[in-house]
Amino acid sequence: MDLFQSGLHNAAHTDVNGHIKIGPFEVFLPRESFTPAAKPAGHHGYPGRLFIVEGIDGSGKSTQLSLLHKWLEAKGYGVVFSEWNSSPLVKDTTKLGKKKKMLTPATFSLIHATDFADRTEKSILPLLKAGAVVLCDRYVYTAFARDVARGMDRQWLRSLYEFAVKPTVAFYFRVPLETAIGRIAAARDCLKFYEAGMDLGLCDDPVESFRIFQGRILEEYERMIPEFNLTVVDATLPVEAQQAQVRQIAQRHLEDAKELRVKP
Amino acid sequence: MRETYGKKLPGMKLSDLAGKLIVIEGTDGAGRTTQINLLKPWLEEMGHAVLDTGMTRSPLAGDGIRRAKEGNNLGRVTQSLFYATDFVDRLENEIAPALRAGFVVLTDRYIYSLMARAIVRGVDASWIRGIYSVALKPDAVFYLRVGIDELIPRVIFSRGFDYWESGMDLYPAHDMYEGFCNYQKALLGEFDRLSAEFGFERVDASRDAKTVFGILKARIRSVLESAPEEITLPEYIAERINRLAYSNERKPAASAASAMAGAQAAAKGFEIVPQPFGGPSPRVNGNGRTA
Repeated sequence: MDLFQSGLHNAAHTDVNGHIKIGPFEVFLPRESFTPAAKPAGHHGYPGRLFIVEGIDGSGKSTQLSLLHKWLEAKGYGVVFSEWNSSPLVKDTTKLGKKKKMLTPATFSLIHATDFADRTEKSILPLLKAGAVVLCDRYVYTAFARDVARGMDRQWLRSLYEFAVKPTVAFYFRVPLETAIGRIAAARDCLKFYEAGMDLGLCDDPVESFRIFQGRILEEYERMIPEFNLTVVDATLPVEAQQAQVRQIAQRHLEDAKELRVKP
Repeated sequence: MRETYGKKLPGMKLSDLAGKLIVIEGTDGAGRTTQINLLKPWLEEMGHAVLDTGMTRSPLAGDGIRRAKEGNNLGRVTQSLFYATDFVDRLENEIAPALRAGFVVLTDRYIYSLMARAIVRGVDASWIRGIYSVALKPDAVFYLRVGIDELIPRVIFSRGFDYWESGMDLYPAHDMYEGFCNYQKALLGEFDRLSAEFGFERVDASRDAKTVFGILKARIRSVLESAPEEITLPEYIAERINRLAYSNERKPAASAASAMAGAQAAAKGFEIVPQPFGGPSPRVNGNGRTA
């Protein structure tokens, strides 16, 4: 028997509400067996809004998210920020695995999924239900890009992250590889082992390994733009121009929200 | 060649995993640990190199899971994935290398327990199956089955009720006893479903440890001796087993070939204890093809 196929079959077609599915994320949480209480409607089905940023290291996505955060707060929205790889329950394990170089592509993938699951269950999902604006620096697309670059199966990964909530907007900061490498080189003394993809044995030189690895990641991002309808921002533009674009798009999705919380 | 349940992990070569992967499954208190502690020295005595492994024993995630379970804030998806991390770490770094080296791998629970626990907690069944599609198919799964009524005295007269074994994260139970009954019943139901789906070999584990050990030994022996023609029992043992195996039908074996087939079948249900050289005729223990 093929466990994966049996899993995928259901994942691809089941929607308790009979809605046509856009990405794999809309189906998982609303499934009856998973969250019986959830009543999905609209995009991810919750009153809150979920904005996420994606891009390779050095694309400037964190800068953009932090500017968006300040703007939203100034406008009085209740905003919560969640960073990749930050679950208090899981991060010690990830740190141990990285420090001792114990992680294989599969366990690297699973421990990050565990971290993401904890943040989804404890913060992202309940906050969206409560009507908060949730901001995530990196989301499932980071896992898809990195883990595929490490040789994991694309479909298996998409199935693994089915529990994730589909973002209101997923901003992808697109930047040429050389620009990103230039920014990273200016900002950092040295590259970390996994960050540079040194676990793959691509090349003994960390900078060269980083280049190859990030190149693969970039390819995966390109592939995901149509697949997940990512909102592309040209990350070679001035910071201000990018931010104006981001705010304009975010604004549109805030206007149609009925039950957003404001900061007390 | 060994197979997986549908997906292959990067770098996992399936062609040279020559050892035997034997799974001991069952709910909490079914006696899995007791049996593994008996089976390991027995297998080693027969000359097999043995690796025993089990849940939360990975160097990567074992401690993390234990720490996470100390609090009351481990969600069901997170829990499922933490266990999956632990499993895959052991699969890649312990189980597969041991099989490659020709070991007998005895594992205390496998993906089935992990799936049952997740499903009982309301996690989507097809999602969790998809994750474990990377697991290697074992050579045998022995499901030590104990009903809820036999299970309760085992637990209360040994270590007492445990928070997680009582599914206290799951049911709004008034106390651990109620929680334990609800949770273990749900688990048993799920195990029975998985048993049919994955073809577990059921062993009635309500019997005493020695009897269960005897059954497991006989069955594991037949797993290790994979091809029938490799069985070379002395004729007098084969004859005796044959007689016992067919005593119900009162139909003696007509040829040497069917005697061997009888011995094969009987080996599944009987424990054969060879006596020291020059001793009395061999004893054949057991009371039929159980479970």
